[in-house]
Amino acid sequence: MTLRAFSNWLSATPLSQLLQDTHGAIAGVQMIHIVCLATLFALALNLSLRLAGRGLVIEPLAGMAARFIPGIWICLGVLLLTGSLLIIAEPHRTISNPAFYAKMVLLVIAIALTLGLAALARRQPDKTTRLRVAVAAVYMLTWIGIIIAGRFIAYLI
Amino acid sequence: MADVLQWLQGTRLAVAIAERWFPLVEALHVLTMACVAGTIFIVDTRLIGLTSRQLGFTYLSDRLLPWTWGAFACSVVTGTLMFMSNATGNYDNAAFRVKMLLLLLAGLNMLYFQKVTFRGVSRWDLGRPPVPARLAGGASICLWCGVIGFGRWIGFTNN
Repeated sequence: MTLRAFSNWLSATPLSQLLQDTHGAIAGVQMIHIVCLATLFALALNLSLRLAGRGLVIEPLAGMAARFIPGIWICLGVLLLTGSLLIIAEPHRTISNPAFYAKMVLLVIAIALTLGLAALARRQPDKTTRLRVAVAAVYMLTWIGIIIAGRFIAYLI
Repeated sequence: MADVLQWLQGTRLAVAIAERWFPLVEALHVLTMACVAGTIFIVDTRLIGLTSRQLGFTYLSDRLLPWTWGAFACSVVTGTLMFMSNATGNYDNAAFRVKMLLLLLAGLNMLYFQKVTFRGVSRWDLGRPPVPARLAGGASICLWCGVIGFGRWIGFTNN
């Protein structure tokens, strides 16, 4: 099955039809998607700042990671669900879109970095090194890239 | 007003954004709004008493709000550029007007909190915030979700 054939099949499914025909459904799903992305971005920003020895330094990195990383996973779960609904609603806009694939590659990198951050926070005591600052910067740049690539899905076909 | 809006969207900057730069400006607007709303959500959930209870409210807000304000300044710039690119269409758009109203209400909510509720912060900085503070936090979360929702709705309803 080609990508075009898959898109046509997906677009004709009852769920896709329901999302396409319900007034405000796609906008509503996008709103939840962006609210979760905003929350996740702020959690990632705080973790990155803490990793770099800035931000909420009064709290140990391990404690902050224990509080914030579960929040990141919950937001990611909702993002995957709402993102899947958006793909199902408009498969022709996403499935053959280079911005969508860029976003997915960056998402895999972000998930790997989140797992790495969680492991780092559990094992290592609080200390700021150049490597940690670099990891924090790469982590935030990855999320920035995800947001920008996500918006470009609407413009690249 | 119509003449001003027509002039605004006819400027070289507005035309350049409409014809070439709109996707990038919009992406930066979403990015900065994510930073604004996300940092506000963290402060607001502390205000409600749901998260970060081991941290003082003033400590948390002092360290997060500079990021909120910095990102807000950037989102005002990107939002203005987006508005200029289709000034007449945006001005007539109901979703745009509701978004601006919600932004105003969010600002008034924050102002009231700062001027009235925050005065007694020393009594609850490390403990459970009082009802007015929790109400301000809840209202702020609802208003910012509305700002995001109606902001997205503009794209579906603009001419």
